[in-house]
Amino acid sequence: MDDAIIVRDLVKRYRVKKKTGLFRSHIEVIEALRGVSFTVNYGEVVGLLGPNGAGKTTTIKILATLLLPDSGEAYVAGYNVVKEASEIRKRIGIMLTVEKGFYGKLTGRENLEYFAALYGLDGRRSRERINYLIKLLELDKLGADYKLLEEFSLGMKARLSLARALLSDAPILLLDEPTLGLDPPSARRIRELVKDLAHREGKAVLYTTHNMFEAELVCDRILLINRGTIVVEGTPHELKMRIPKLRVVTVSIRGEGGSIHQILDTLGTKYEVKTEENGIYSVRIHAEKPEDIFNDVMKKLIANSFEIISARIEEPTLEDVFIYFSEGSL
Amino acid sequence: MKLHTILRAEFSLVYGEIFRRKSALAAMIIYPYLFAGFTLFFGYTIGSPQLFIERVGVEPTIFMITASNIVMSIITAVDDVLWRPLHDMYVGTLPYIIASPINKLELFIAIPIPRLSLLLMTGFTSIAPIYTLYYGMNGIVLALAIISLIALGALTMSTLGIVIAGLIHTIGESWRILNIVRPLIMVLLGAYYPRMFMPLSAYIVSFLIPSSHVVETIHRILLGSIDNLYLFPILAIILAFTYIPGSRRSLLYWEKKKVSEGVKTY
Repeated sequence: MDDAIIVRDLVKRYRVKKKTGLFRSHIEVIEALRGVSFTVNYGEVVGLLGPNGAGKTTTIKILATLLLPDSGEAYVAGYNVVKEASEIRKRIGIMLTVEKGFYGKLTGRENLEYFAALYGLDGRRSRERINYLIKLLELDKLGADYKLLEEFSLGMKARLSLARALLSDAPILLLDEPTLGLDPPSARRIRELVKDLAHREGKAVLYTTHNMFEAELVCDRILLINRGTIVVEGTPHELKMRIPKLRVVTVSIRGEGGSIHQILDTLGTKYEVKTEENGIYSVRIHAEKPEDIFNDVMKKLIANSFEIISARIEEPTLEDVFIYFSEGSL
Repeated sequence: MKLHTILRAEFSLVYGEIFRRKSALAAMIIYPYLFAGFTLFFGYTIGSPQLFIERVGVEPTIFMITASNIVMSIITAVDDVLWRPLHDMYVGTLPYIIASPINKLELFIAIPIPRLSLLLMTGFTSIAPIYTLYYGMNGIVLALAIISLIALGALTMSTLGIVIAGLIHTIGESWRILNIVRPLIMVLLGAYYPRMFMPLSAYIVSFLIPSSHVVETIHRILLGSIDNLYLFPILAIILAFTYIPGSRRSLLYWEKKKVSEGVKTY
């Protein structure tokens, strides 16, 4: 597969002027990216997942030719982001903040017509593409043809924003938190569409989010970014498998609690016990291979007169993965 | 990329904004009268129409309504390119414009044209009735000629306007700087303050402004001094073309500065 995006050792520092007095100020250097490297192939959705201030938007902005890196290299569609920005601009569709970025006194359709012109789409070609996208994103049902943008809800703006990113049918899409603040139906529609664009149309999609659930649903590969560094990358499944002792046996039991710790200490693994109402205890046992200890735990609990209410083996969530890799432990 | 595609988009954007903001449309129609009325009122309080005719050679009402229209139209050409980057930054459309493959010079040339076309229409509600009142039916012909010249003046101003806009936004993105630049251009155009009365230093600077030559043409027509009249518009056009490389470079500086700082995406 071809690399649509190649990023090597990207570094970006922001110099922020901080006032320290009436006439005094000093420059504070904030390291937004500290040597970020990754690739994105055509036909896949790669998620850049991280908390606020991790460097996601900075990365997107550099790739969208809206910001210059301090060092390192980045190539989009084979073109250098610093030296060949004009070539890149013909080959990318971008979706930045959902809330802003349109003209309020124009209708949804008129906004799309304006941005289509910026991409050189004219006349019939522009009309056909806009009609297609309005239908695809179900904007026609929401009144995009006659409603002014200032009357749009956030969900409608997000759909319109994605429609704009797709106007030029660019092979590479850079989507910065496209579902931020959206209602569940709009967020779902956008997620489905993004997956389709990559898997059916072969587009390369870089998708930033801080929503773990969303990253797991949409992305083929995830790059966990924290404090300007990619801490780990892989498919959602691979990432979960890379965490030692993170699979969990969760057991809900009823009985006399005094002996629980004695039983669990014999397992030689990390566990937590929470007391609930009516003598019910919730027990979480961390294990690399929970299948191996599951039967043993059940037998010991039953032997000690505990009533098993429920028992299951839980996979770690992406959130667990993120916390593990960004903070070193759970 | 075709210029007419960009123009059509700009027309739809500006017309959409103006016609859906009724106050903006009303202001556009009333402004030439307000400008002219204010200056006439001010003039009458400190002098007499007779004195004005003796010094300038034109009936003050005609002079002022013409000057108001000239200033509104020509300043619009500068204003639109000066304000547009700031407006786009506030509404959040700037990153999409910068990251689009559009030729920025073509875009900036297209930006003032829609509003200008509307302003020229106001010539028919301001210049034409006043001229008809003073000159009879000949006034309509004269008004048409003056409106056409104003259009030329505004168009020839766009390249210098882009040079100024690019440089100002490169130096510091502030509406405060714009508010200093606008009145300066307004004075140096010579619409209210004819070039013949300017001191040499101001005259030289005014000479470098393409539209000022068109303004001088209009003044000469109103004065009836039409010898070698065609030279002034030609000079304006030549000057406008001279500023094209500068305007391209100026926009490039601005874009480079924005990208090196990072275009705000909110």
